Amino acid sequence: MDCEKARDRFSSLWEKELTPFEEKGVKEHLSSCPECQREFEQFEKTMGWLHSAGEVEVPDEFLPELYKKMEERERITSAEKSGGGWFNFPLPFKLPVQAAAMVAVVFLVLYLTKMMPMGGHHPKETGQSSSPLSVEKKSEQVLAQKEMEREPRALETTPRAPRTKNVEQAEAPASGEEKLKGAYSPGPPQEIVLKISDRDKAISQLRELVKQFKGEIVTTEGNRFLASLPASSFSEFEKELVGVSSTGQTDKGMTRKHAAGSLRALQEVKEEAIEGKSRETAKVATDEERRIVVRILLVQE
Amino acid sequence: MKTSPKIQREVIESCKAGDEKAFAEIVLHSQKKVFNIAYRMLGNLEEAKDLAQEVFISVFDSIKDLREEIRFDAWLTQITLNHCRNRWKYLKRRQYFNSDSLDDPVETEDGDVPRDICDPSDNPETLYEKKMIRQLIQRGLQKLKEDQKELLVLRDLQGFSYEEMGELLGLPEGTIKSKLHRARMDLKQVLERATH
Repeated sequence: MDCEKARDRFSSLWEKELTPFEEKGVKEHLSSCPECQREFEQFEKTMGWLHSAGEVEVPDEFLPELYKKMEERERITSAEKSGGGWFNFPLPFKLPVQAAAMVAVVFLVLYLTKMMPMGGHHPKETGQSSSPLSVEKKSEQVLAQKEMEREPRALETTPRAPRTKNVEQAEAPASGEEKLKGAYSPGPPQEIVLKISDRDKAISQLRELVKQFKGEIVTTEGNRFLASLPASSFSEFEKELVGVSSTGQTDKGMTRKHAAGSLRALQEVKEEAIEGKSRETAKVATDEERRIVVRILLVQE
Repeated sequence: MKTSPKIQREVIESCKAGDEKAFAEIVLHSQKKVFNIAYRMLGNLEEAKDLAQEVFISVFDSIKDLREEIRFDAWLTQITLNHCRNRWKYLKRRQYFNSDSLDDPVETEDGDVPRDICDPSDNPETLYEKKMIRQLIQRGLQKLKEDQKELLVLRDLQGFSYEEMGELLGLPEGTIKSKLHRARMDLKQVLERATH
């Protein structure tokens, strides 16, 4: 018998499960092999230790603690049963309800994100206000302004009475309009372009004229003026304004603010810019005082 | 099996009917076996106590499903082993056994004591020797694989027969014997390394 076979029989030898013949063979090997003999002695020692290890005593509080645990568990279970009504519903009922609830949530989220405007101004608000233009409109106006500056000559050949002043409106000092915005109910603003030869003279004439018609100049910025006049005297004021112009005529137009994005409006803006010298007015009629805001642009000939 | 005689059939039937006294009798009768298997498998007294209590809660919950009262002991051992396996996995996931070394302090009934490795058979004091052996075996068992530990605990510490083990583990006797021999040899090696 070799060492491996002998060592494989250690358990059987120790438990006395080997046949007499097998036992004899193993014992003979052990007596002739000191290494296996030492191994078996160590094996016997290990088995002796294992069997003498004994048992550990159960803690005294084992049973009372067990009862405590069981009571606690019982309490939790009964609380779940009484409180968790939904959990007790059968799955065939719960599943469709949960699915429907989920669909409802998805639709609600879609409605809130797609249907409702995300920030910005309400259309009605932009329509009523004279200054808050949509970003799209503003960008179009800026584009038009740039083009106007780039090709003034090309458009000079198409003299047409300028009617819109979206560009100027966008560039016009917003502070004045802002001031008026609260007090006046805005209507389609009017713009007047005056061609002048003597600037100082024209300005003093304009101031006098405004004063004469019980109006006031709200803001001044270079050759741009924003004046407020009573609606009743506005037509007279317009007529008198012709006298200020060196050419004896004014270019005026109603600003189509609401159509600011239209190509036509842009074209008109360009045309007016070619003339290069214009005066703009914007008028806003108030509900109470019926005052008109006029934007006037003095253009040197 | 070297445990106490089998519990009476009437007690089991009373427990099935919801008799708390009968349940207490069952606990008192079997707690030592359940607690010791748990302690040997997990190597920690607190864990063993908690696990043994969980085992009896399971017994209380499911004893009504036990058909053959005569097989109560095997059924209880099976529940204990299942709980031990689950707890073993749970503790292993939490690196519970990672720091386990034969040089670590050993937990005994007297609490943690510093590891003092020496061959207990050299010690003349019997009580101390017994304690040392218990420490050594407990530590050595923790070094083995879970299935090896199960075999050693059932056969060499709890005294189950090969037939009972075959039923419990669902393995043929021959396989159990060879696996058990391998486990014993591995434990021998672990203890040899620890005592030298």
